[in-house]
Amino acid sequence: MNENRYSAKFKAVDALLLILAAVPILFGIALYILLTPASSGIEIAGARIYFTINMPLQPLPITEAQVNSWLVIVSVLFLCLYLTHGMSPTRPTKRQHIVEWAIEQTQHLVMDNMGEFFKDFAPFVAAVMVLSALSSLLTLVGLYPPTSDLNVVGGWAILVFILITYYKFKCGPLHYLKSYTEPVAFLTPLNVISEFATPVSMAFRHYGNILSGSVISVLVAAALQSLSAMIFGRLPGALGDIPFLQIGIPAVLSVYFDIFSGLLQAFIFAMLTMLYISSGFPEEDYKEKLKRKALAK
Amino acid sequence: MQSSEVISVNIWQIIISILNLLILFIILKKFLYKPVENMLAKRQGIIDNDLENAKKASEEAENRRKLYEEKLTGADEEAAEIVKEAKQKAQRKSDKILSNAKEKADDIVSQAKTDAGLEFKKAQSEIKHEITEVSTLLSEKILEREINKEDHRKLIDSFIENLGDEYDGHE
Repeated sequence: MNENRYSAKFKAVDALLLILAAVPILFGIALYILLTPASSGIEIAGARIYFTINMPLQPLPITEAQVNSWLVIVSVLFLCLYLTHGMSPTRPTKRQHIVEWAIEQTQHLVMDNMGEFFKDFAPFVAAVMVLSALSSLLTLVGLYPPTSDLNVVGGWAILVFILITYYKFKCGPLHYLKSYTEPVAFLTPLNVISEFATPVSMAFRHYGNILSGSVISVLVAAALQSLSAMIFGRLPGALGDIPFLQIGIPAVLSVYFDIFSGLLQAFIFAMLTMLYISSGFPEEDYKEKLKRKALAK
Repeated sequence: MQSSEVISVNIWQIIISILNLLILFIILKKFLYKPVENMLAKRQGIIDNDLENAKKASEEAENRRKLYEEKLTGADEEAAEIVKEAKQKAQRKSDKILSNAKEKADDIVSQAKTDAGLEFKKAQSEIKHEITEVSTLLSEKILEREINKEDHRKLIDSFIENLGDEYDGHE
């Protein structure tokens, strides 16, 4: 951290890290352009499969969803290195101010929603937000958003479910089982259903929103194409083949479906993660248990 | 190239997704939160240190100020003491000198008085002697004979005695 921030070496490392952060996305675009066949018209399909690995139980197709997730992760890794490069406790740069602000924001968010006990959850919540948001935003550069694949979002929801259950188990299995009979015993089946509905609803909400955005975009684009063919089709020559209505209107939709919806779903997923984990955790009972343990010693 | 179904469930893809999230969590924790938190802790340390130093410095300054003030008041007192002592000393010296001088003057006066008395007596006896001689001579001349020296002396002595008394009385 003591190196000179204006030295050529420092600037070179800075530039290199930025380039390395951008390279995965460019690589993804190149892969998309090279491997995607020329426009096969309007179609609604899942992620493209690059290759398939034979695995027990089920073959594993490596699709755009997985590859794009990895590209996002690599990009974020280099972005982190870039952002923390040349931090100094006494002479913060603009970049450092932004990083500090962002980290403080996530920490405050976690503290406000989950309480003191879960304050170490800030990086996890940030990871959920960053991965979800950047995955959804990949549509801006024309790549397949991994969040519109059920398996990707389902995996996150299952991880959150595991965390919820882990923290519910903190007071022992008996306490965990008893929590299903509350407030009254005959609600137990409903409680069990709602327990398992949590990850399902989380996964489907996120995945459905992003996928529906893509689907609607495709449908609108197709509709606009037919509409402009109908209206402008009678123009002479090549002029008639240009889908004039496709200029501009899809961009407006993209602002909503790709940017707003993507960011909103990332935020919602992170909020639900925080709320479910902290509300499932019996904090009072756990504190009492700790107290009893301390007394027993 | 094939595409997967819009809705397809693949257990391996789910596991990969879970691992992806965990990896990103670790990356963010290790490469973003840790360095920033370390930096913030370092900054806090620097601030605490500076505050501590400032506190110490101001305390020391206050102590020094007190010390100098004490020293200053002490110096004033000392100066007053010195002046007072000097005055007393001077007073004593002048008193001594004065008393010495007075003594000396008294001595001189008394000496002069005794001297004068002696002179006077001496002169008296000389005069007495002279007068005795002169009167003897005169008497011899007048009487043309030698008178009994012894008687004569007695006579003159009584005369001068009376004269002296008379003279003393005049004084």
